[in-house]
Parts: sequence; C-alpha cells; structure tokens
Amino acid sequence: MHIKGRAWTFGRNINTDLIYPKMWFRPTYEPGEMASHLMVGIDEDFPTKVRRGDVIVGGQNFGCGSSREEAAASMMEAGIGAVIAPSFGRLFTRNCINVGLPVVVSPGIDERVGEGDEIEIDLAKGFIRNLRSGYEARLPPMAPESLRLIQDGGIANYTRRVLEERRKAAAPGSGR
Amino acid sequence: MHAISKIIAAHADRKGVEVGEIVNVVPDYVMLNDRGAARAADLLRQMGGDKVFAPWQIVVVFDHHYPPIRQQDSVSQKKTREWIKEQGITKFHAGEGIGHVIFPEKGYAFPGALIFGTDSHTVTNSALGCVATGMGHSDVASYLALGYNWLRVPEVIRFDLHGQFRPDVYAKDVALRIAQLYGEDAAPYLGVEFAGPVVAKMQMSERLVLCNMVIDFGAKTGYIQPDEITARYVAERSSSRAWTPYTTDSDSDYGRIVDLDVSEIEPLVAVPHDLSDVRGASTLSDVRIDEAVFGTCTGGRIEDFRVAAAIMKGRKLAPHTRMMVNPGSREVYLQAMREGLIDIMMQAGAQVGITGCGPCSGCHQGMLAPAENSITNASRNFRGRFGSPLANIYVASSATVAASAIAGRIVSPAEVAPH
Repeated sequence: MHIKGRAWTFGRNINTDLIYPKMWFRPTYEPGEMASHLMVGIDEDFPTKVRRGDVIVGGQNFGCGSSREEAAASMMEAGIGAVIAPSFGRLFTRNCINVGLPVVVSPGIDERVGEGDEIEIDLAKGFIRNLRSGYEARLPPMAPESLRLIQDGGIANYTRRVLEERRKAAAPGSGR
Repeated sequence: MHAISKIIAAHADRKGVEVGEIVNVVPDYVMLNDRGAARAADLLRQMGGDKVFAPWQIVVVFDHHYPPIRQQDSVSQKKTREWIKEQGITKFHAGEGIGHVIFPEKGYAFPGALIFGTDSHTVTNSALGCVATGMGHSDVASYLALGYNWLRVPEVIRFDLHGQFRPDVYAKDVALRIAQLYGEDAAPYLGVEFAGPVVAKMQMSERLVLCNMVIDFGAKTGYIQPDEITARYVAERSSSRAWTPYTTDSDSDYGRIVDLDVSEIEPLVAVPHDLSDVRGASTLSDVRIDEAVFGTCTGGRIEDFRVAAAIMKGRKLAPHTRMMVNPGSREVYLQAMREGLIDIMMQAGAQVGITGCGPCSGCHQGMLAPAENSITNASRNFRGRFGSPLANIYVASSATVAASAIAGRIVSPAEVAPH
C-alpha cells in the first residue's frame, strides 16, 4: 500500500474525546456527517481545512481513551490517507484497522514532521519519507493479519465475505 | 505462559499462544451499552448479517443515555428493544446501573472469562481474574455476525504493591501514582497485573478501581490472580458459576515487573487536562471547587458511598459548591439508602441522581460551565469530558472528592475529617 499526502500535526496523548467530541455522537450517521466533526475538539475549522489524501501525524499515545469508533471512522470518511505516530491508544489502533485506515507506528516521527510537509509511506516495503526534509525511516513490521484487514478495506468487508462463504456452505446442493 | 495468554488460548480453542500472536477468540459475554447496541445493530445490517450468531453471549445494558433526554436516544433505544426481541437476546438491563458495575455484581464477570464490551472501561471486570477489553462498534458488529473476533496476545507488566497505606489513601491514589510515575501510556497494548501483599489484602471494590484505571495507562486488560477474596465474591453473587483457575507459570512470563511501595503515597489529584499531571491534594488548596462529581464506573460502588458519607456526616457542602451523585447501580443505590448514606449526602446538600454514568462523558445532568472547576472520583480529566471544554476537571479518590466538596476547595480528607 502506497500513500502520499500533506501532513497535519498534533501533540502527545491526544484522546478520542478531542478527535471526535461526544456532542456529535448519533445513533446513525448520514454520509459525510462524521467527517464534518473530525478533530473539532482541537480545531473547529479542521473539517473545512483538511483535504482528501492528507495524513495525520500525532505524538506519543495518539488516540488514547474512549473506545469511540467515530475517531477512526471520521478520519476514514474525510479521506485521510494514513494516521502516523510513535505510538497509539489500543482501541484507536484497533478501530483504524477495522475501518481500513492505515495506522502507522513510526518512532520519533512527531519530531521529524512539520505541518504541511509532504509524507510518503509504503506499507508493503515498510518505509516512511518526509519529502520536504528528506528524512527517511524503516517502519516496524505490522502484523500480517492487520495489514490484510486494512488492505481488504476493513472488518466489514471481511465479515461480508465470511458470511457469504457460510451461506454457500449451508446452501442445498453445496455437497455438505 | 501468563494466565492472560492461557485464558486467550482457551477461548481460541488452542493449547497455547505466543505473545504478539493474533488469534480468533470466542468470548463468554459481550456487553453492548445503549449506544453500542444501536451502532452495532446498524453495522451488522450493513455487513449483510441478519442474525446474531450467539444471542446467549450478549448482555445489553442501557447506562449512558438512559433514561433518554434527547429524542434521538429514545428513538434508538426503542429500536434496540425491538432488535433484542427479534434476536432472542434475553440479558437486558435498563436503569439497573453502569455496565462495568453490574457485570461483576450480576456474575457476568468471573475468573478465567473472556469479556468484550463496547466501552473502554470494560477492563474493570479484569479485577476478577478474567480478560476483559473494550471494542469498537464495527468490531463488535463483526463478532455479532460471526461469533468470534480477533485478539492480539498481549505482553504483561506486573505491579507489585507492598508497604502500608497511610490514612485516607486508596486504590485510586495508587492508580494516580502509577500515572504520575509512568505516564498515560504506561502500558500501551499490554496486560497489567496487580499483585503483592497490598493487593492480597485488598477488597474487591478497590481491585475494581485499580483495573478500571488501566485503560487510562493504555492497557488492553488488567488482571489480578483470583484468590479467596475473588472466590468469595463470585460465590456470593453467582453461586452456580463454575470457573477454571488459570495461573502464570513463572516471572519470566512478564515483560516487566515493577515494585511500588504504597507507603510513599499521599492523597493525590490529577490536574487538568492530563491524568499523569498528578499533585498532592494538600498542595492544591487554592483550587476552588464549583462541582463535585461522584459516582461512575470508577467510583460508584457502595464502598465509595461509605467513605464519602463518613466524611460528609453532619457537615454541609461549601456554599459555592454543588455535588452530583450518581450511584453505580440500583443495588448500590438501595444499599446506600438502607445504610443511611444517601440521607447523609443529601443532608449535606448533594443532588442524588439516577444510576448511570452521570455527568462523565456528558451523559447525565451536571454539565460544567466555562472556567468552572470540578473534582471527581471518575477516571478521566479529559478536556470537555463534563461539559464545557473550558472547564477544569480534577480526578481524585472518593474520600478526597467528598472532603473537597465540603471544603469548597481541594483538600486532603484529613483537613475536613480529622482522625
């Protein structure tokens, strides 16, 4: 998976209450609704500034706190190409993988990227590059299962496929 | 192997698992709260699933927005009630309390279990010696469809607690001390076990507080090795429950073992907006308190009410201070009434509300205005957590919260109620 995009930078311990404030929770969402509240706990104008293909670079423990999937889903919906940080909150990581958003661990990356820098990532080859500064680093390997879920477009597609296989196996004439 | 690995292996139908390995597991129980149930049901449909694979494993708890004050919540709860019926889900608790308080109370959490929940504080249950972890909504929807989900086997860090507690120091202060020493990411993706002589003597309510707080160190689950205290707790609540004891083979099964002397700990407070920015309560006497928020899945148990009422008895809240109290469960509420604790708190001037999450994460009444200060026995001082993003939240033990509500400023409990 190859990603190239303009960086938005955030600090350490950015919790999901800030990424997607609770006041915007709804039982169901219209298309585009989640994206329109992305990061408003930190910057109210962020949804109008961010462009499809941009990447988010955070500090240590990015996405800590509440389990809210909207934090990851709103990034996916806004077209964020990848979210990159030295470390992530566990639930946020899981939610990113499950919605199909590349969640990229890169030690020290927050010190190496400024707002607006052009970032290039290759998940298969395992590198990250700052095209403005020339900084380049190897990425720690991602679990193949997680990478596959991201490449498949998330857990929804995986679930659909398994359900389909089960239906076929249960259908009369399937030989079982 | 660590007991956590063994529990995961048992639920993956495997003899053993390696740390770092990703396996598919079948949980014992999965908690869906009001929002989790609504979102997961919706996402299940979007994934092409029409049936919940194992309805007997599902426990639906309305705690965040129940009773609803917004029409969107009443509409979605009506849908969820219909969905529960359609799917044959019979374990349903509305208005009985917060999921993480009633799970241990009602025997859904037990030693050796694997529990998922649509909420980060699901980790609370791990105090009973089980693996309990939060999940996202798509995550849970996939489990609902397929009957399993993936889990990465975590490395485990152990905190050995020893020494003697000073007066007015509780498990909450220990958790804040860990945040202070090791940060909000003390244990990213890890299992966190609490052990040592202090834990061996600790009652279940205090163990639940320790494990509740591990999510705010970044952990996947807590763990406390089941013992006599655990066995008695489970037997009193679900006498028919059979459970398998799992034990850790050796100290080499830990990524790290940390010694912590609790004798060094004084009543502590995490100051806005960072849980690892922790100070002594006695050093914050110039912080005016507008509202004390008492309850939640961290501090809403009967033992918290006993501690608070002992401090508040015969005293009044400071004239400029209000106090919102939400018992963690109906059982806690009834018991607190029977013991006269609600009486004491109301006579002091507290508002006692419904069982549920309270103002924490903006669920129930008691929102803060800009520039107001709140002290709470909840777990998080995140910006905006109790209403205005311009308000300040201080996190402390039940004793420190009760004492500060009386003093109208942050104090150490002994300043209000000397021994």
